[in-house]
Amino acid sequence: MFQALKTQLARPLAGMTPERRKALGLLVLAVVLIAFPIVNPDDGDIDGAANALSYATLALGLNIVVGFAGLLDLGYAAFFAIGAYYYGIFTSFQVMPLWSNAWGPLAFLGLVEKINQGGPDLVHFTLSFWLALPTGALVAALFGVLFGAPTLRLRGDYLAIVTLGFGEIVPIVARNLDSVTNGAAGLNGVQAPKLFGTSFGVDATPYYYVGLALVALLVFVSIRLRDSRIGRAWMAIREDETAASAMGVNLVRFKLLAFAIGAAFAGMTGVFFVAKLQTATPEMFNFAVSSMLLVMVVLGGMGSVWGVVLGAVLLQLMQTWFLPQVNGWMHDLGGLTGIAYLSNIDLVQWTQLFFGIILVMMMLFRREGLIPATRPAPPLNFAAQHAEVKRGGFVGLDRIPHWVKHDKPGLEIRDVTVKFGGLVALNAVSLTVPAGGVVAVIGPNGSGKSTLFNVITGLVNANSGSIRFEGMELLGLRPDQVLVRGVARTFQNIRLFPNLTVLENVLLGQHARLTSGPFSSVLHTPANRREEREALTWVTDIIALFGNRLAPRVAQTVSGLSYANRRRVEIARALASRPRILLLDEPTAGMNPAETLELAEQIKSLHDLGLTILIIEHKLDVVTKLADTVIVLDHGDKIAEGLPEVVRRDEQVLTAYLGRAARAAVMEETHAG
Amino acid sequence: MTTGDLFLQQLINGLSLGSMYALLALGFTLVYGIMELINFSHFNVFMVGAMIAMLTLQWGFGLYGQDVVLTGLPLILSLGTAMLLSMVLCGGIGVSIERFLLRPLRQVKGPAAMITTIGVSYVLFNVILLTIGSDSKNFPNPLAPIAFHIGGAVLRLKEILIWVISLVLMGGLTYFVQYTKIGRAMRATAQDPEAARMMGVEVDRVVMMSFFLGSALAGACGMVFGLYYNLAKVDIGFAAGLRAFTAAVLGGIGNVPGAMLGGVLIGLIESLSGQVIGTAWSDVVIFGLLVLVLVFRPAGLLGRIAPNKS
Repeated sequence: MFQALKTQLARPLAGMTPERRKALGLLVLAVVLIAFPIVNPDDGDIDGAANALSYATLALGLNIVVGFAGLLDLGYAAFFAIGAYYYGIFTSFQVMPLWSNAWGPLAFLGLVEKINQGGPDLVHFTLSFWLALPTGALVAALFGVLFGAPTLRLRGDYLAIVTLGFGEIVPIVARNLDSVTNGAAGLNGVQAPKLFGTSFGVDATPYYYVGLALVALLVFVSIRLRDSRIGRAWMAIREDETAASAMGVNLVRFKLLAFAIGAAFAGMTGVFFVAKLQTATPEMFNFAVSSMLLVMVVLGGMGSVWGVVLGAVLLQLMQTWFLPQVNGWMHDLGGLTGIAYLSNIDLVQWTQLFFGIILVMMMLFRREGLIPATRPAPPLNFAAQHAEVKRGGFVGLDRIPHWVKHDKPGLEIRDVTVKFGGLVALNAVSLTVPAGGVVAVIGPNGSGKSTLFNVITGLVNANSGSIRFEGMELLGLRPDQVLVRGVARTFQNIRLFPNLTVLENVLLGQHARLTSGPFSSVLHTPANRREEREALTWVTDIIALFGNRLAPRVAQTVSGLSYANRRRVEIARALASRPRILLLDEPTAGMNPAETLELAEQIKSLHDLGLTILIIEHKLDVVTKLADTVIVLDHGDKIAEGLPEVVRRDEQVLTAYLGRAARAAVMEETHAG
Repeated sequence: MTTGDLFLQQLINGLSLGSMYALLALGFTLVYGIMELINFSHFNVFMVGAMIAMLTLQWGFGLYGQDVVLTGLPLILSLGTAMLLSMVLCGGIGVSIERFLLRPLRQVKGPAAMITTIGVSYVLFNVILLTIGSDSKNFPNPLAPIAFHIGGAVLRLKEILIWVISLVLMGGLTYFVQYTKIGRAMRATAQDPEAARMMGVEVDRVVMMSFFLGSALAGACGMVFGLYYNLAKVDIGFAAGLRAFTAAVLGGIGNVPGAMLGGVLIGLIESLSGQVIGTAWSDVVIFGLLVLVLVFRPAGLLGRIAPNKS
């Protein structure tokens, strides 16, 4: 009977697509939240809920900085304070300059009014709440850029302490700048918002609805950003800065953007919070607030939009409902048992202790949070897992438009010297990769091969020399600028973004070829939608080149892939950037002979696309198969250059690789033969 | 007071502050040097150290406030016990944090370990807040209130004691790191953990030792701090910790002599800037300095720019 009822009820849900189910869930949630103040008209509860909502907006903002971009910001409350004081100062009676007629236009707009408190005429700021929300966001974002510009170049862990300091300084400034902020006593007489001439007053319900609207807005913005080019760039920075930069992400710009948008969320919330409390004191923005927000984000799940909202609501519930409740029980228990300690306990004071415990426990046992940002993809069936070694190069190359034109010179490296302290990693190395050519670099370990790649792609600075590609100087450019010039690379030790999916990894290759900014990404403008659609088609075609090696796995995170498949993803990612020259650093390392052959032939077929290729490789059969020219490095010097067969017999090369005795043996053998 | 006297006085104050910051900075630098981790729990291990020393003097020796003056053996015994106990217990706290909370995260990338230390710092803070309270406690000081006058400046006996304690501890640490087997292992691990492990260094022991030494020094610093200010309070960790961290960065984080130099410099800067600008802004001054150093000389005064380990 019950079973039948259950299936009856479950059936309509089971028939729905996941999207429909999600939409239905959202609708139910929205109805419940909108109905809450009507169903439960208790002003205290509604007030608590409104506070929870404002913490949720803050947590959403912090999530952009910490969760998406991976920048540990311990002073986030500073931006909250900036928004709060912005609204507070421009609506209270704290700052009142002398009136002059220059204020007239502003008075006409209703931003200021002339008042007289028995003395000269003064200016009273009367900034509208509705105007203050967006402008407060803007002001906070400006401060975000201001604070971020010098500090975001720092290593991630230094950023934590610097932001901690910022978070501490803003309240100190607020405390010490008496004339503007009224010091420790705080601003008083902050205006309540007005809607159609009616003041919100002290009733909690209108604030609840404004808070709800803010949360809805910021959830929407967060999700849109997460799923855009910008969100992908942030997550790439979080996962691996160096690789992100090499894939064309301008690190400073995107970190600043995360900081500014996070700050904007906080600024907006600051306006809302102060309008609701109608006062602002320095204590409202101290480290305790920043750390509480961090706990919310960590509890809910770093990078998880719904997770951090849940985290904020749970912590607020814990503070305002659960702990007082348990406290009451403890007191009752104390009364029953006669244990004075229990009767006198004040658990609400323990809140911050619990915060600390939550942080530690989450890190130890559930780092991904209550609602993880990434969910595991379903496992593959046997057919999808089954892969055969394919011969004959890439399949479906004809589907891809050929983007390379050979009307410019290739890569020209002249006298490049790189020194690390006293060690000369590259000593006046010169080489040329003609447009459309394939050049292989070989040499013993430590001979400077990877340094050569690093100096070409801007990861390492050269002491002297020149590197030109298509006639343009690359030295002095950042890695992302080098990529924009058409130079893409892979890394010897594979640098993918481990917690992103195969698709997201390869899409990141497209980053520099896309142009959507934050606004078009949030609004999904037609241009943005077309761009994303084209990028997806392009990336799917690239992934399809590898047959069923990658295609069934597009939704899996790359950390779970086999070594060989990770190498393939890295090559696909580089290809996705439409490079004109591809730099491959030991692409077949760790592959078995059959896979090596497959990849070698695929690389050769890339050549058909017109790509210029510079490859570092140890396997000489691969080199012989692919390269027009082989260059041999040893201890930073170029010791040989020529056709593969010729270089293989070069005396110096044999000495470098095998040592003197072995060389003698090989030479003898050659002569005897 | 003439300007010269004033300067001399602030020099004395700055050296006292600086020797405390140096002790605390060493803990940041030892752990960072070996694990590349900013240990936020260090802030409050120091605070707990001050509390342990205070309670030892109060409960163990019946000393309350500054009225009882001890000399000779009782003086050495009381202060020595307080410091030793504070060092051992703080060292134990540091080792426990490492062993039970951070070691499971050793291989985890990203900010997990740093967030854990923030959580631990919070727990320590709130445990003291709930048990001892938030008000400023009168830290017992059994030293005779002897002061020497140098021109118009005053040098108190306790300041000399602070300098001596700091010098002895820092000397001991330097000897330990430079000349003992485990010290050598620590330096090797700081330079290249992988290579050190292959050479037979037990990295777990080295990490644990760095936590023990750093935390024990923080414990000693807690007692010294109490003696100097005649107070212990639950929120002393933050301000002192931020200064000590700045000191570690200024000297070159990961660099032991650098931390000592940085500590003394920060102490001097704090006292002199307090004289010139006003003490209300000293946090801002110290912090501004931290940002400047990080931006313009991230390797610090004595540090070298570490090669990218990744």
